[in-house]
Amino acid sequence: MSRDSIAANIAEWTETNAQHTDANAQRAWDHEGILWGVFAIPEEQVGALPDVNGLDVVELGCGTAYFGSWLARRGARVTGVDPTPAQLATARRMMQQSGLEFPLVEAPGESVPLPDASFDLAVSEYGASLWADPRKWVPEAARLLRPGGRLVFLTNSTLVYLCAPTDVDSMVGEELLRDQFGMYRIQWEGALGIEYHLAHGDWIALMRENGFEIEALHELRPHETAVDPNYYDYVTVDWAKKWPAEEIWVARKT
Amino acid sequence: MSSADERVAANVAQWTLTNAEYTDAQAERVWRKDAITWSVFGIPDEWLGDVNGLDVVELGCGTAFFAARLARRGARPVGVDPTPAQLETARRMMREIGPEFPLVEAPAERVPLPDNSFDLAVSAYGASLWADPAEWLAEAARLLRPGGRLLFLTTSALAHLCTPEGDEVPITNSLVRPQFAPWETRWEGYQGVEYHLSHGDWIRVLRENGFVVDGLHELQAGPDAKSHEYYFVIPVEWARRWPGEDLWEVHLG
Repeated sequence: MSRDSIAANIAEWTETNAQHTDANAQRAWDHEGILWGVFAIPEEQVGALPDVNGLDVVELGCGTAYFGSWLARRGARVTGVDPTPAQLATARRMMQQSGLEFPLVEAPGESVPLPDASFDLAVSEYGASLWADPRKWVPEAARLLRPGGRLVFLTNSTLVYLCAPTDVDSMVGEELLRDQFGMYRIQWEGALGIEYHLAHGDWIALMRENGFEIEALHELRPHETAVDPNYYDYVTVDWAKKWPAEEIWVARKT
Repeated sequence: MSSADERVAANVAQWTLTNAEYTDAQAERVWRKDAITWSVFGIPDEWLGDVNGLDVVELGCGTAFFAARLARRGARPVGVDPTPAQLETARRMMREIGPEFPLVEAPAERVPLPDNSFDLAVSAYGASLWADPAEWLAEAARLLRPGGRLLFLTTSALAHLCTPEGDEVPITNSLVRPQFAPWETRWEGYQGVEYHLSHGDWIRVLRENGFVVDGLHELQAGPDAKSHEYYFVIPVEWARRWPGEDLWEVHLG
């Protein structure tokens, strides 16, 4: 089932890279701090990540690898994994320009050609966390991590999934537009890509089945001075100040 | 905000009223049932496991029918509740139907029982909804032995967001209250004080008290379920589409 979503998501992200992420790669790579999500919430305010200095880190669904670059600048040994060649080409250009180089692997989060127990931290920032089949990528993350290693991933909240109009260009509202029971995989109208959204109970069950202990669910709230997102404009800042639009899960491999 | 004593007193007043209006009259019916179910939609238990021989504390036991069913399966329960009227009903049921087991009049925030004395703590719409989580979870952790389990059922985080003001109004299909809000909730026309947490907050406060999260069971009403005659806020049609109730399963690490 996930083979078709991998191909669909490569098509989606090849297009998005041409429209947005390639042109924005420089700005994202140049940023000094670690930011979370469409409201750019600083990691210092969230506290989702451990001290990454000296850690072996794999980023699952790295895109143009700006998030990995922020971790590499803090002393992490990062490997970026992504299935979309166009985004990896952008990432390589940024590496040449910045001089900050780390390995990139062309692969989907569902099937990563890297050895077992070779990382201390697996991260995914709107990467595999939203675009890969969780029943495949969560076991891959567990396999790649050493005992005691951490999995930290950002994705949309369940509330966003429930309240998002079917049309990909419309804003999240306040009405529940679809059932929670049965939620897993969705292709929005007008979108090339296929997303995966799990209810909180299902995330917990899946991580527990794969040997993770749940450490935190950070339901993100934008800062008072935050403004509406400009490209990923599925939600307004006013909505996101009342309900979490994005969430970060933190789990530890036992 | 209010003092802890005032909040406990408000819930004792509320449950004295609810007992006179409903739970006392229903006690015989629910005490005569043996099946262990969760939820206002009567979902059969698949999470407690074998309770035979376990020391069990029920936090916010009300008329103690849930504990009675555990006792019939070989558990040694102790029921804890702050409302004298409900404990009086529980004692009458013990005499008329049985079995008998200890009852303690206390709020779950301050339980006069020794440390490390239970294998299992349960709360089905008890402390889980009516006691301050920062305090009752610390008490649950203190009462449990290492590795001991806690299972508690409460209104789902989503249902709370969709429930309007006014105690005669059912749930809606819209987000009518913010999630980023204080836990403590009071309703118009209702004396009781409830505590509603987001899932992220539940995980944080559970972890702070030494619990490992084993599961969050977001309960779905079954095909044969019917809307509850008294606890009607969440109709069965809603609870087939979205979880009206969350059952947390955790253990002391």
